[in-house]
Amino acid sequence: MKLIEALNILREEQPQDTQAFRLSLVCGFTPLHLATFLNAQLRLLLSGRRVELLSAGLYGDFLGNLEKAGESEADAIVMEWGDLDSRLGIRGLGSWAPKNLDDVIRNVRAQASKVRQAIEANSANKCVAVSLPTLPLPPVSFAPGWQASAFDLELRACISSLALELARVANVRIINPERLDRLSPLSERLDIKSELVSGFPYKLPHASTVAELLSRLVVPATPKKGLITDLDDTLWDGILGEVGTQGISWDLDHHSHMHGAYQRLLHAFAEAGVLIGVASKNDSAEVAKALERQDLILPASALFPVEAHWHPKSESVSRIIKAWNVGADSVVFIDDSPMELAEVKAVHPEVECILFPKDDPREIDDLFRGLRDLFGKSALSEEDAIRRESLRRAPAETLTDANHNGGGEEFLRQADAELTLSFSKDPVDPRALELINKTNQFNLNGKRHTESSWQHLLCEPDTILLVAAYRDKYGPLGKIAVLAGRKTKAKIQIDTWVMSCRAFSRRVEHRCIEELFDRFDVKEIEFDFQSTPKNGPVREFLAAMLGETPTGRCFLSRDQFSRHAGRTFHRVLEASHG
Amino acid sequence: MDDTRDRLARCFAAVFPSLPVDSIARAGVSNTEGWDSVASVTLIATIEEEFGIELDIQDLAELISFEKILDYLQQNPRKAGH
Repeated sequence: MKLIEALNILREEQPQDTQAFRLSLVCGFTPLHLATFLNAQLRLLLSGRRVELLSAGLYGDFLGNLEKAGESEADAIVMEWGDLDSRLGIRGLGSWAPKNLDDVIRNVRAQASKVRQAIEANSANKCVAVSLPTLPLPPVSFAPGWQASAFDLELRACISSLALELARVANVRIINPERLDRLSPLSERLDIKSELVSGFPYKLPHASTVAELLSRLVVPATPKKGLITDLDDTLWDGILGEVGTQGISWDLDHHSHMHGAYQRLLHAFAEAGVLIGVASKNDSAEVAKALERQDLILPASALFPVEAHWHPKSESVSRIIKAWNVGADSVVFIDDSPMELAEVKAVHPEVECILFPKDDPREIDDLFRGLRDLFGKSALSEEDAIRRESLRRAPAETLTDANHNGGGEEFLRQADAELTLSFSKDPVDPRALELINKTNQFNLNGKRHTESSWQHLLCEPDTILLVAAYRDKYGPLGKIAVLAGRKTKAKIQIDTWVMSCRAFSRRVEHRCIEELFDRFDVKEIEFDFQSTPKNGPVREFLAAMLGETPTGRCFLSRDQFSRHAGRTFHRVLEASHG
Repeated sequence: MDDTRDRLARCFAAVFPSLPVDSIARAGVSNTEGWDSVASVTLIATIEEEFGIELDIQDLAELISFEKILDYLQQNPRKAGH
């Protein structure tokens, strides 16, 4: 992004009727253009929300500024060598005499320890994004520049230790230095003239890059959920129908190693909870035989469903999306044929269609990095590990609407369903926030939360929270529903209600409402319903309970609920904590 | 030369969003709201980026109005990226 583009973004009027996203930018130098770029990037990522950037502080007092970071939803912390010891900055004129080098190292260690403590304290109730020193070390050491001196290495080890300790702290995210190196070469970062004239040490492109990466850490993209892959010349090298099961390959001997590397990546994805499906124009019996090969890096058990036939791939993609019960915009389709990609894209414009560049290992390597970005997440949950198996085990009945009385009743009765409810607000459950921020279909109003806004909400004394986990004889689904709101004298106000699409058709929503009525002994529940392009399932549920389609905030009485709710068969347990 | 004027006007419009378009040509430190030291640094950085140039530190003190900056860019065409 160019500075003039960032300034023009900041000229645009901000929405006034929304709660502002407040970010504290903490650094020891004059933030100037970094603040401009960061503000602009956040406005792009949070379109529809007002952004307020707080960047007050004293020049040269990085630690003090860090400790005084204001009330905000998140902090962006940008540290440079001079913040750890002024002798490592251009403006400081402290001695570089060899006898002083040990003192520099001691000072950096001590300062890094204080920085770690301050960042840990700040991260207790908000997300903290950190940029560790990005500028080249000045030539302090007595060694020539081409030699890595013990002094330089000691300083870098100190930063590495700090980074490792911080990366293990919940809510702290650190810019990946390798990604920064790719986007902003080391020699193109320091602007000495600007540092001397205005106290701002970064060249504009570097400031833009740091701001972009920080904003991605603070406002992470929603990870994609499923990857649909072609087989021939993609998952393996060769056309199965021509060369047969033993003719396909994915190894160095057959010069097809990158297909094996692709399988390895997909296997890692599958183990991390990404759904992997297959859409292949092939003979299904041949494919089944090929998938029995024991030397596959990506075992057949990781693939579900496998669509192998001669019908258009868009039809296969439709069926896979239905089986996964996810939105098309959370799916990536990979094929070596531009024509197949175009055919799928025409029918499913929201699916991200990506070419497998089978003849270019460098492009395949770039593809791997791009896929990591699309599917990457900061932490894995128990639900990630069981997602595929729960889909595979789900009987066909659960994919139809069993909520209505009739056909699904018997299925629900024999499912041996168990619902574990948690009403505890402490400790904060990251899975609850993850569900809120990625659920589209059964979502009361589409509102999202940041870590900070979610923690603040839970800290309010009248906030109530219900997190439901589900299992039945087909296996566990993990935590699949979250309700949050406030309890007043006579009623409950529900502001947040999401339920994973994997839990549809099990009447979990009926049971959750029943439990709220019972536990809090209220006569009415108020729902902050807002229609979104995707939340038809929650609208239909409320319409069935209310007897009319809701158009906004609505009220459900206990009598109405008793008349319209479906019969439930869950065994209900309350989660134990502590 | 009109191209230089237009590009410079775009820089001014970005840095001084409340400045009316028809006042940009007359803008100067003394008559432009918000033209402080931070705005000066931002304006110079925007101009350097827009024209792909690096202004001399000793010239900065003289660049205190739209007209003076335009003159500077026109008299130093190599600096102005022509």
